[in-house]
Amino acid sequence: MPLIDLVQESVVRIPLVSTDKPGVLRELIQILKDAGEIEDYDAVLEAIRQREEKLSTGLEGGIAVPHGKSAAVSTLKLALGIAPEGIDFASIDGEPSKLFFLLVAPPNQSGPHVEALAEIVKLAQSKAFCRALTEAKDAREVVNLIKGE
Amino acid sequence: MSTPKKILVYVDGTEPSITAAQYAICLASFYKADLIALYVVNTKAMEDLLKARIFLQDEQMEYEHDMEADAQRYLNYVNELALKKGISILPRSSRGSVHKEIVDLVNEEDVDLLVIGELARIRSRRDEFYDEAERAMRMVACSVLIAKNEDKVWEMYESLV
Repeated sequence: MPLIDLVQESVVRIPLVSTDKPGVLRELIQILKDAGEIEDYDAVLEAIRQREEKLSTGLEGGIAVPHGKSAAVSTLKLALGIAPEGIDFASIDGEPSKLFFLLVAPPNQSGPHVEALAEIVKLAQSKAFCRALTEAKDAREVVNLIKGE
Repeated sequence: MSTPKKILVYVDGTEPSITAAQYAICLASFYKADLIALYVVNTKAMEDLLKARIFLQDEQMEYEHDMEADAQRYLNYVNELALKKGISILPRSSRGSVHKEIVDLVNEEDVDLLVIGELARIRSRRDEFYDEAERAMRMVACSVLIAKNEDKVWEMYESLV
């Protein structure tokens, strides 16, 4: 499933209000809840936390991709949060993370989950694109950037 | 004019790909053609995720295992759809880069027609580089049919005796 089919203004927040890793996870999942994408907040949070406990998904270049599988969703869900100032997410390079792509997938839809994660990896390779996302004015601009408009 | 003798439908478990399978079953029935259904476990994407450190080794194995199970489940489902209409399908599951696996199978089996599901309606400029079905469509040597309008295809499939 193309990332563009998952991204809509209601699941994008810029800037995030959280200032630490647990807060970011909670805020991103609350965004999904507020957008009507999930009902069971606690189940999704637990799935994401379990994965983060194994190893942080904070990558190089200021990107973090918290993800997990949960029976609490029937289709793949995405929330995108942007923190222009950066937040400590225990990333690989030790640098603060600015772009947070949270993905939660049902256990029986690994294919779309993998494809969406792979697309995020490709996006992350463009530093100019990541910078443009970080400097976006609002959610609409973020969605337009991801659409390639 | 010769008619297709061997049809390949690419199935990835999405609704559009199931619609494509129904259309392909109808075509195989009309033309008395052989029908192959292909599901590709995208191990290339998983390797990329491992390299990017998004996946842990055990996580990669877990997802790969899940996707193998998905492959079996979706191919079984398509096989059932075909059997209901008296058509036999050759189910094929492979691993690797999706568009390459499709192109390779088209060549290997001398496929006359590739059937794929509808591409996403909202497109970005990036998608043409990343959408595996679209890449396959551009690269295969045979003709390609994109199945659209699931309601009409369903009617056609249901009317098949």
